Amino acid sequence: MATRKKVLLKVIILGDSGVGKTSLMNQYVNKKFSNQYKATIGADFLTKEVMVDDRIVTMQIWDTAGQERFQSLGVAFYRGADCCVLVFDVSAPNTFKSLDSWRDEFLIQASPRDPENFPFVLVGNKVDLDNRAVPQKRGQQWAQSKNNMPYFETSAKEGINVEQAFQTIAKNALAQETEVDIYNEFPDHITINNDSRNVRSDNCSC
Amino acid sequence: MHNKALKEKLIKNVKKEVKQIMEEAVTKKFVHEESASITSLCAAVEACVSHGLKRRALGLFKSSSTTALLHKIAKAFQPAANVVQLIAEVENCDPNNEKLYVCLFLSHTNNITCSNTRLAISSRLSLSLHTNYYRRSSSSGGSESASKLGVKPPLQKRNSVATMKYLWIRLALIEKHLAKIVDYIVANSSKYYEKDALVADPDYGTILSSLLVGPCALDYSKLRTAEHFWTDPPADELVQRHRISSGQFPLPASPPAHKRPGLHYKGSTGFSNSDDNMRSKDYVESLHQNSKSTLLYGKNNVVVYMKDGSEPLAGYLSLHQCGEALLLKWTPNQLMNGCTDTGVHEKSVYWEHALNVAVHETVYVHCHQGPDSDWIALVGQDGVQRPPIHFPRGGHLLAFLSCLENGLLPHGILDPPLWSQRGKGKFTYHGVNQKKTNVSATNLLVDITSKVFPKLKRKGSSRFHSSTSPLAREESTTEDLISEKGASDFVFRIVYPNFTRTYPQVEDMLEYPVWQSSPSTPKSSIPPTTPRSTPLHSVSTTSSTSSSRSLDQQCSVQEPGEPIQVVCQTMKKQIISRAFYGWLAHCRHLRTVRTHLVGLVRSDIVKSECPTDATPGLTEEKWKELQASGSVDMKEIYRLVYFGGMAHSLRKQLWPIMLSGKLEGEDPEALRREYEDKMSEWLAVEAIVRQRDKETMAQNLAKLSSEGGNSSDPQPSPKVLQTHESNEAWRNTSIKGEPKVFVDAEETLSSEPTDGNRSQKLRSVESTTASPLKTSILSEKRAENGDVANIKASNSSNSPREKPREVSFQSDAPVFFDPSPNKHDEDDDSDVSSGEESPVATRGGVYSNEILESFGLNLHRIDKDVKRCDRNHWYFTESNLDKLRNVMCTYVWEHMEMGYVQGMCDLAAPLLVILDDEAIAYGCFRNLMERMSANFPSGGGAMDAHFANMRSLLQVLDHDLFALIRQNGDYTHFYFCYRWFLLDFKREFSYDDVFLVWETIWAARHIASADYGLFLALALLAYYRDIILANSMDFTDIIKFFNEMAERHDAKAILQIARSLVLQLQTLIENK
Repeated sequence: MATRKKVLLKVIILGDSGVGKTSLMNQYVNKKFSNQYKATIGADFLTKEVMVDDRIVTMQIWDTAGQERFQSLGVAFYRGADCCVLVFDVSAPNTFKSLDSWRDEFLIQASPRDPENFPFVLVGNKVDLDNRAVPQKRGQQWAQSKNNMPYFETSAKEGINVEQAFQTIAKNALAQETEVDIYNEFPDHITINNDSRNVRSDNCSC
Repeated sequence: MHNKALKEKLIKNVKKEVKQIMEEAVTKKFVHEESASITSLCAAVEACVSHGLKRRALGLFKSSSTTALLHKIAKAFQPAANVVQLIAEVENCDPNNEKLYVCLFLSHTNNITCSNTRLAISSRLSLSLHTNYYRRSSSSGGSESASKLGVKPPLQKRNSVATMKYLWIRLALIEKHLAKIVDYIVANSSKYYEKDALVADPDYGTILSSLLVGPCALDYSKLRTAEHFWTDPPADELVQRHRISSGQFPLPASPPAHKRPGLHYKGSTGFSNSDDNMRSKDYVESLHQNSKSTLLYGKNNVVVYMKDGSEPLAGYLSLHQCGEALLLKWTPNQLMNGCTDTGVHEKSVYWEHALNVAVHETVYVHCHQGPDSDWIALVGQDGVQRPPIHFPRGGHLLAFLSCLENGLLPHGILDPPLWSQRGKGKFTYHGVNQKKTNVSATNLLVDITSKVFPKLKRKGSSRFHSSTSPLAREESTTEDLISEKGASDFVFRIVYPNFTRTYPQVEDMLEYPVWQSSPSTPKSSIPPTTPRSTPLHSVSTTSSTSSSRSLDQQCSVQEPGEPIQVVCQTMKKQIISRAFYGWLAHCRHLRTVRTHLVGLVRSDIVKSECPTDATPGLTEEKWKELQASGSVDMKEIYRLVYFGGMAHSLRKQLWPIMLSGKLEGEDPEALRREYEDKMSEWLAVEAIVRQRDKETMAQNLAKLSSEGGNSSDPQPSPKVLQTHESNEAWRNTSIKGEPKVFVDAEETLSSEPTDGNRSQKLRSVESTTASPLKTSILSEKRAENGDVANIKASNSSNSPREKPREVSFQSDAPVFFDPSPNKHDEDDDSDVSSGEESPVATRGGVYSNEILESFGLNLHRIDKDVKRCDRNHWYFTESNLDKLRNVMCTYVWEHMEMGYVQGMCDLAAPLLVILDDEAIAYGCFRNLMERMSANFPSGGGAMDAHFANMRSLLQVLDHDLFALIRQNGDYTHFYFCYRWFLLDFKREFSYDDVFLVWETIWAARHIASADYGLFLALALLAYYRDIILANSMDFTDIIKFFNEMAERHDAKAILQIARSLVLQLQTLIENK
């Protein structure tokens, strides 16, 4: 389409079902929380423009189905991701335990160029709830152990920390983007040929 | 003179910005209000207008002096007054409040809904102002610090207030009053300006106002929010646009609503300096093969001579296919090789030289051969010629031309065609031109390409392409003169004969004078010629269509001076060969259809009109009529429902019938009993699970709070649960009570007399199968129903506590099944199936840890999904959601090998809404899942089969759409249909339509197609095909589109399309 944006950051949100992936995405993009979301089937995405440093970039945030059964679909959706957001529910320890498998699965399916340094961000959601079961320390420790990924504790419902988390996501995704040397892929090596300058300099005179 | 130089500089700046904006208008097809070039232009104009302004004359106004000027002249000049009014509105909207702008900008209020549209416009304007302000800020410290550092438009030092200074200029520009206002200022300059002011200058003043006429002619009226600027339009807008523009098909890549500015300016692509870095990188990225465009040709060290006579530049020439549009790009080496060696200023010069040519706007390709290089020049529709592009020696020109020709296919061709004939190794060039006799120009590229180029001819042809402007006509005449001198030059015209898949040149041939004068008719005895063998690129043609197309291009080939007869013969051959290949393609096509798709539809075509018109569907009268007639034919019911659905009042009665496929349906009593049994089983398990969860939770909490990061397994060791523990668990919960669960249990267990008998039977059976736990649970269940006497007996029966521990369920499963045939005999036959299906639901009733764990997991998932399933639908109140949960749990309990998968809730919900009865809904759901379970992951891989069938069907039924899907990053995996198939379109349509869609699908199984869903999916694509094609949607576009359109489709229309698609395929297969 003619209005296609040029700098596009693809962000994938992963995590067990019900941890609040859809809510996080909508809170960030639309500044709204709704309790009407259904379980995500397949995948959906929203886009949002953000300023990262002095550039405007478009974030394409992909919301996926949370049940691990649907992971086989990932190949189509994870491809070309610039950042991956791992979400767990601070009131549900099981969702925290499955973070490892989400991370591994993502790395397998998306097969990024440099899996070691691929930017992940860890988000512990639902901090507004009283029955917190995963202490902050544990989240931090896990994040640290995985290449020191940034860790945020958010509440999609109250809009706590969501903006900050996504700013970091955008920043890291952009850093990832620019690291890729675009000239590496260029089909032909180009050398300036000085000899070609002695060609007649007339215009096409037809 | 100093002042003179300053004025010169000021005017030059305006010129530059005007040029910039006009170029942007042409290259982007529209100018956004957010565009940085507008701000730059405003700044430049501001600089001119404020030059030499008399302060005294404006006295009272303390705000921006030019704004004051505007206020002054507004009294006498109407356009100025309009602008003043607009400014007032903007300022009232948010009086100089920067913070508000920031908020607006950051929050991206995509729908600014103001009752007053003017207000909406103004607020968006200020929004865009601020966007620009951010974009132009050169700080690297992010948006927070931007406000301190300020913006830097050319000429003046800026702060954020300065951006506001341009407000009136911006508004005037967008309202198209700017030129008039400046004109007025110039005319009345003596009042407000010093003598040596720029606007007072007889030359510069006029120049300034006339410069602004162009930008004022541009259409900025299509307001776009900041969000629009960066993203694709939402589905609504696309549909809306399509409605407006439907009729003639718009060109790809130029959405119809973007009105093109009236000016056609051709030239090198301009890049604004401010965004240079970002743009240059993106631009270079765009030169690569990517998902949006296919790289057809790339060559480095291609030299371009600039018109301004500067020295030639070597660069990278590439040809891209974006959707159906071809783009030719040439980028100077200086830009390709990174930016280290050149300064910013120099770089921007190179950007000005970069070429970006849309091939569809090009009419002629002039080719020249020189002693040391070959070069081409492109001439656009308006006759403007691009700088010549020189290829290095060695056949690159030819390679480029053949790539260009291939890229133009299928819609465009080079005229004359550049074609090779198999076996001969020849290339023939035809120059088509006006009133020219044949000039043969052999040995054209011979020395370069070491191939034989026998002829270059100029064929007499009086037809001229309609799009050719007079300028181009002139151009070609000049070209004629030149080419007479040297034979090494020739011209190709780029023609788009027809956008449909007909034989485009038949009419052309008929117009050909020779053909008209020829009396002979084609004879069938002439053998077909060999087809052209030009390799097809990644162009979207199948073998069948491409063969017919390639033949088309052969038709204009004859030798000069041949006798008419020979010409006629050639044509005859061509006509016959075309017919032959058409037939061959058709045969191939049909073979594919038959082998792959014959299983998708039923071979017998059921008509809607006989015996009676079925389109009104199954109405109540019709149903009464059918019942009265004595024997109700299921087939007739299906037929009626398939073509018209059924009355809503009948659904409750008829859905179970339709889903079971039996007129009598399932025995509701048996179903109910079975359902209750299952429920009592899993309710017991649930109680255990609950208790264990609580313990685990407590354990976890304790552990986590004490030792943080240690991730030891909190689960108990995997051995069979002790009956003691579980019994306690059960008792705890039953005492504390889970009121809602038991209320439901009572409801469902209410059929007293039979129930009492059965429970006796069950108990006797179960006590023989060494299942103390089960018995106790069951009996407590009864206790809930008032059967108190059994509690003690059952409790005493579970004395051998160690016994079940030795029994591992998984390994001993067969043992547990052994006694069950016994029970089956006693039970109703409806139990038989379930006993076989489910490895879990043994009557034995001791549950291994694994079963407990996995059911527990399923319970959590079910809870999570039930809670959020259709909660906006009126039916799903708390109690009805519990019903849904019960249905779900019962099904999952029965199918533990599959477990709960997301989406099941969605499938059960509409059934419950219609039937409003747990047991019957459960029965229907089970029937429904017989078909649907294969779609779920690990359920049998039906999804992949659907996608494969979609591929085949779309290829046959809508080739163009298929080509697009394959071309745009190839999403022929059809994952965007995933939800459609998984949920049987439940989330695609509104609730009321889902009922209709579902019953149509069920009916279709029996009379039209077992895979009716496929045709529905195709119908959804077909319904929006024009929009999809027009916007050249890729995978993400289409996902977004359909997600946004969900629940808003016109179900009736789509069902109608689906039915006609079924019929279409049926007829295709039938006509062997």
